[in-house]
Amino acid sequence: MKPDVDQILNQSAGQLLGTIAPLLPTGYAQGTTSLLAFMMLMSAQEYERAADIRAIENAEIRALFAELGSLADSGLRARLSEAAATKDNSLRISTLNAANDELRRLLIVLQAHLEERPGAGARDAERRIWQVLKATAQRRLVRLPAG
Amino acid sequence: MSDDLSQKLQRYLAEKLGASDLRVTNLSRIPGGASRETYRFRARYSDANVAKDRALILRRDPPASLIDTDRTTEFRAYQAFHRLGLPVPEPIALETDNSPLDRPFFIMEEIENCSVASILLPDPYSSYREKVGEQFFSILGRIAAADPDEIGLGDLEGARECCWQHETERWERVIDEDEREPQPIARAAIRWLKRNPPPPAQKISIVHGDYRTGNFLYDAEGSIRAILDWEMAHLGDPLEDLAWALDPLWSHGDSSRAAGTIAREEAIRVWEKSSGLRFDPVAFHWWEVFASLKGLGIWISAAREYFEGRNPDPVNAFSGWYCLAFHNNVLAERLSERVA
Repeated sequence: MKPDVDQILNQSAGQLLGTIAPLLPTGYAQGTTSLLAFMMLMSAQEYERAADIRAIENAEIRALFAELGSLADSGLRARLSEAAATKDNSLRISTLNAANDELRRLLIVLQAHLEERPGAGARDAERRIWQVLKATAQRRLVRLPAG
Repeated sequence: MSDDLSQKLQRYLAEKLGASDLRVTNLSRIPGGASRETYRFRARYSDANVAKDRALILRRDPPASLIDTDRTTEFRAYQAFHRLGLPVPEPIALETDNSPLDRPFFIMEEIENCSVASILLPDPYSSYREKVGEQFFSILGRIAAADPDEIGLGDLEGARECCWQHETERWERVIDEDEREPQPIARAAIRWLKRNPPPPAQKISIVHGDYRTGNFLYDAEGSIRAILDWEMAHLGDPLEDLAWALDPLWSHGDSSRAAGTIAREEAIRVWEKSSGLRFDPVAFHWWEVFASLKGLGIWISAAREYFEGRNPDPVNAFSGWYCLAFHNNVLAERLSERVA
């Protein structure tokens, strides 16, 4: 039995906020210590969810590329098809981030491309991209306890 | 606190104020954002045989700044609006040379016995919410009403024509230079802003640039005593400041209350009355989207400073994490409505 990382971070933040910070001189030292404690709370949240968020996001963007590829010009279509076929072979955050960067870069190209295209199909595709971007942004929001 | 800094400051001020008996005491660092190191101290000296004991603030450039802001602009804005009678601290001295304190700095009066609201607090103004809100949006209107040329700030950075374009391109450059990973929401926002320009500004004003909760001091009776942090002041559309002040990030978790104070409609009414300007909802919508994009620019820049180790202040890490995620979400909501 060992304490989980998020528990260590949460309880350490509680110690800093409740016990250590009040002993420090008011001003920069106290304010900075409290902020560091808040970021430990954020880190605890991230420890639990970081891999999940990235894996879901990468899968959603790949699915989007597979779904919308037919609307793109041939050069872009090939890049989308190739990206849609990639997989996350590791759950290390750095690896997931690297894949996420590549997928996001291509998503920007696709979205800009569709915005220039006329027609209802392109508008529907734009809406689909925004659904994914909204879900992404929601998932990455940081929930803080009231300070 | 470093005796070395205290002694250097003492030498500088004694010469600047012509007071050889000047003594600097109680120098201590206080929170003041990541773009300047902020210290409070007391200066005791005699002036024409009258003993003075002044509470002062030192704002010194950090080794690297969050946004490349100009302390000369900030100092001049304090001078201009202090003369105009707005609640701002009296500026005392500006030094752009590195030699006195290793980095450029300026000194101003400290407004004592006041509070600054943290954005993490759910209801910082409590029973003074209405009073603070009325003043906050009224002062913003007075800034918008001021004539930049008449108050000596007509040469500030910014554009008198197509200021929307100037500002969009400015923040696009910041994102181009500082982003550490692709930002699809920011890029979509930039494209939208360029494709859908707002109507021309009703007038060109001084834009404070960071007018929000957390950047003013209020006392125990809920009176606003000082508007701070003018480092991003520039010429532009006064709606830029109004949109930033009304941005949800500064609402203390309750989007129905502007800046955590009064109802949004009331805030706009107070601003219109004080500024003499008309609230144009179409133009304002553009500036709302811009405000969140500008937020992303600031937070992306903060993350870069932290990542590069140029400015390890934890405010930069917090901004580049919490605030970035917040504004990505706000922009995704706002822009997705446009294509829905």
